[in-house]
Amino acid sequence: MSSVIEQIEQQIANLQTKAVASNTGKILKIGDGVAKIDGLSEVMYNEMIAFPGGTIGIALNLEEDEVGAVVLGESNHLKQGDEVKCTGTLLSVPVGKGLLGRVVDALGQPVDGKGAIESSETYPVERIAPGIIERKSVDQPLMTGIQAIDSMIPIGRGQRELIIGDRGTGKTTIAIDTIINQANINKVGIASGDPDFRPVYSIYVAIGQKNSNVARTLGVLEEKGALEYTIIVSAPAADAAANQYIAPYTGAAIGEWFMANGMDALIVYDDLSKHAAAYRQMSLILKRPSGREAYPGDVFYLHSRLLERSARVSKDHGNGSLTALPIIETLAGDLAAYIPTNVISITDGQIFLETDLFNQGIRPAVSVGLSVSRVGSAAQQKATKQVAGKIKLELAQFRELAAFAQFGSDLDAKTKAQLDRGARIVELFKQPAFNPIPIEQQVGVLWAMQNNVFDDIDVSKMVAASNSLRDFLSSRKEVLLTSVREKAKIDDDLTTQLKAAVDEWKPTFA
Amino acid sequence: MTQNKQIKEFAKQLLKMSVEGGDLSADRVDGVLTALNKNPPRHHIAVLKAYLKLVEREVAKSTAIISHAGAIGARSVELISKQLSAKYGRSIVPITREEPSLIAGLRVVVDCDVYDSSISNVLSTLESSLS
Repeated sequence: MSSVIEQIEQQIANLQTKAVASNTGKILKIGDGVAKIDGLSEVMYNEMIAFPGGTIGIALNLEEDEVGAVVLGESNHLKQGDEVKCTGTLLSVPVGKGLLGRVVDALGQPVDGKGAIESSETYPVERIAPGIIERKSVDQPLMTGIQAIDSMIPIGRGQRELIIGDRGTGKTTIAIDTIINQANINKVGIASGDPDFRPVYSIYVAIGQKNSNVARTLGVLEEKGALEYTIIVSAPAADAAANQYIAPYTGAAIGEWFMANGMDALIVYDDLSKHAAAYRQMSLILKRPSGREAYPGDVFYLHSRLLERSARVSKDHGNGSLTALPIIETLAGDLAAYIPTNVISITDGQIFLETDLFNQGIRPAVSVGLSVSRVGSAAQQKATKQVAGKIKLELAQFRELAAFAQFGSDLDAKTKAQLDRGARIVELFKQPAFNPIPIEQQVGVLWAMQNNVFDDIDVSKMVAASNSLRDFLSSRKEVLLTSVREKAKIDDDLTTQLKAAVDEWKPTFA
Repeated sequence: MTQNKQIKEFAKQLLKMSVEGGDLSADRVDGVLTALNKNPPRHHIAVLKAYLKLVEREVAKSTAIISHAGAIGARSVELISKQLSAKYGRSIVPITREEPSLIAGLRVVVDCDVYDSSISNVLSTLESSLS
């Protein structure tokens, strides 16, 4: 109580009675989260506007006779004739490590009931992306913990890799697995005391989702011990379209703080389809001209300026990175629709999830043929490159042959062997949700695959065999796995050790 | 051009005719209204409404509404008017109004610009900074 009184006394002592100048306007119309304002002669584009009751908005339409502003938050208490003021500032959000483990809204305010956010800095929500000179090439791996991705579609720190697919194909699961894997890697790395270890902090931006989905995601992250390295920015479906529009930029601002301060961060935008829909809603109410599919003409710029803020920057400009995993939901697998093609052209690759594969039980349902990482093996550990180099080719050959095998013709031995191998690889890449696999275990299993260890195991038992081998390696060959992780390449010594380990394991698997 | 835009353009032209030497002229406004009454244009109610809005904006630009709590001397009003005229580069006419809710001090409004040195403003700023 005494500290509150002291605070008030200090505030009163600092009071000044000189005239305060402000530029004001009056609300002409308010509805659907958009206010038309008369006045505000000094307002600038994107400037924050103060509405009565502590509500804020952003000026988005500067017309001859009126200003169109979107209201961030509740607008039920606003009415025609209310006075609004220019603030002279752009929208900013609190940033820093104080946000880790917290759930915030699109304005950076906490919504998890755990008290105020400890933050001494703010970053503007809209910011110009790093230029060419400020950037550095992407060559550090970001492990997702998903075998199919880490081996064939490797992602690097600072890359933008799109996750795209129909509803219910596991897009969010891939993103959450990646976040959990970063937390697992962080714990091991920090415990090792390695001074060169760089943890990856994660930001999950939920746009237009059901509150129950966000709560479930929060529960999973808490259960897996990943929440302490994660920030959740939540703009659920119940929020105003303006909040859903701003949320990804808020997440980007939070991520930029890590990037500018020599740290690595990962940001997931789930999902940008709903983000585009919210922007379309706002633009139509603002009476902006509409184009294809009723989206405004600048819907490409909406996503390009967001995703360009994810980069790897040089030592002189922060020495950090911000990796982006935007998610797009397609309808009936249509990759050629408007928003998907926009975002595909912006990002550095895509992971395409197919409904057919999902329904066949191949989960994660990654379509290896349509997925690509434009950064590629530049961001892959040497060990993974050594064991996964030919996997993509073998799978492509398998898919081609599988189409002919359907006709039931007699097959020669070589074709049968290729089909068997392909089927085994497909089984190998099956993985349960929320169980990312450490890279050293992936390398061990893939080494076994490359060296034909699984050739005499029935295809239907492949999942059990790979699980058994990983359990064996993690429980009995921890030193070997640590060597794989630390050396990051398979030399002759590691090859000998791997062979010995696999030979020891094989008889135990019935 | 949409109908609304045409009406606005027409009203703007009427406003141009109502200005003399950069300032709104009451005689000219009278003249415009008389002419409109004699030969009403299409959608004349809408035209009049748009014209009224522009005239009100023009009047507000040249008027300083000085709200005060308690007494205010004529000298102070003259000083405020002089300073504002110099700032805006046009003649500003002061209009005083008693406003007890200000508690003490002044609030001067010229079009969209508000200059507030009242105690009530200071208290509301203090309230928002503490919340």
